[in-house]
Amino acid sequence: MQTLQVGAFFQDMQQRLSLRLLNSPKGLVRDVTQKDLHRPGLALAGFLDLFTYDRIQVLGNTEVGYLKSLSPEAQLESLQRFFQFQIPCIIVSNSNDVPPDLPRLADLAGVSIFVSPLSTTELGHLLSDYLDHKFAPSTVVHGSLVDVYGTGLLFTGRSGIGKSEVSLDLVERGHRLVSDDVVTLTRTADNVLMGSGSELLKHFMEIRGVGIIDICRMFGVRAIRLQKRVETEVELVDWSGEHDYERTGMEDAYQEYLGVQIPYVRLPIYPGKNVTVIAETIALNLHLKVYGWHPTKQFSAALSEAMKNRTQQIESYLEKDFE
Amino acid sequence: MIQKEIVLLNKLGLHIRPAAQFTKIAAKYKADVYLIRDGMRVNAKSIMGVMMLAAGQGTKLALECIGEDEEQLCNELMALIENKFHEE
Repeated sequence: MQTLQVGAFFQDMQQRLSLRLLNSPKGLVRDVTQKDLHRPGLALAGFLDLFTYDRIQVLGNTEVGYLKSLSPEAQLESLQRFFQFQIPCIIVSNSNDVPPDLPRLADLAGVSIFVSPLSTTELGHLLSDYLDHKFAPSTVVHGSLVDVYGTGLLFTGRSGIGKSEVSLDLVERGHRLVSDDVVTLTRTADNVLMGSGSELLKHFMEIRGVGIIDICRMFGVRAIRLQKRVETEVELVDWSGEHDYERTGMEDAYQEYLGVQIPYVRLPIYPGKNVTVIAETIALNLHLKVYGWHPTKQFSAALSEAMKNRTQQIESYLEKDFE
Repeated sequence: MIQKEIVLLNKLGLHIRPAAQFTKIAAKYKADVYLIRDGMRVNAKSIMGVMMLAAGQGTKLALECIGEDEEQLCNELMALIENKFHEE
């Protein structure tokens, strides 16, 4: 299970949400394990069935207003009941003043409580956005990701087959490198596969025989990108006479990462083959398919039509030859 | 598949030269090799991948070798690590 420490969350979002910590920092070591939020109005009122206490608890105007409306004893009782649960952290919206018992009891329970000037709705949007990103499933693949005419092509294949060289060639032709050798794939909330590089490697690349080069310095900022949707995988394989390679494009192949399917092309390579031009072709062909033009299908229709016409010609010829 | 826990004892950790030594050995063999640090799993035949782990002295890593010649490969890599990458 993925976890996010409250302290790390605070560091990431302190500025964006203008968060202020209301109690001691000892609750910062707790972990957030859920990407959803919860408004604990009913839990404060005493209805504890289905209380999703393991989510970040957002106290809006309603919750704070309710607590303030209670007598001091009832307020204390409600909060004590609330803090029996293992809550990751609490965020109060609209810069609401909270009853002094709240930070005190939160401290006793070891729960951090933050306050933000944002409205509950705005806070909810920004928080969900951030948590979706943080809790998105991700994996690392050995390959190179290049934006070719706006299409994210992920080159994979055995070590030393020439992924970096193809990427370099594409960059030289004006395309943009996202990452070489190590690509982190993340599945976003709407089932899109995003690829990015690593903070450390940036746009450095190893070219065998030359060493490590810096693509950004060499080709300028327009040769790089920080992230790109991965739209097709191109696996470079050693050419072997025994293998069958796709000849017509009738069958669309797919590869799955993190449960997301992306088109997959298996590309045999041998010396003298211009993989770069083929990569550009793959990208453009995908564009055509996205715009509804499937070349193989169009050709197939044209071929069928031509065959039909031929048959009709023969039939009409035979029609004139009465026996 | 062979899996080994390793601790880097050499001074430089997996810096450029040690990483290059490591990947050169890995690339000689048919077997696949992976290095894992805190759940981050990289192909150890890729120098950039190995360096991305930013594994300094004392770092604990897992080494995974999978394939027909995995045993020789694993032995050679373990020897390199134990000999502290022949650092002076």
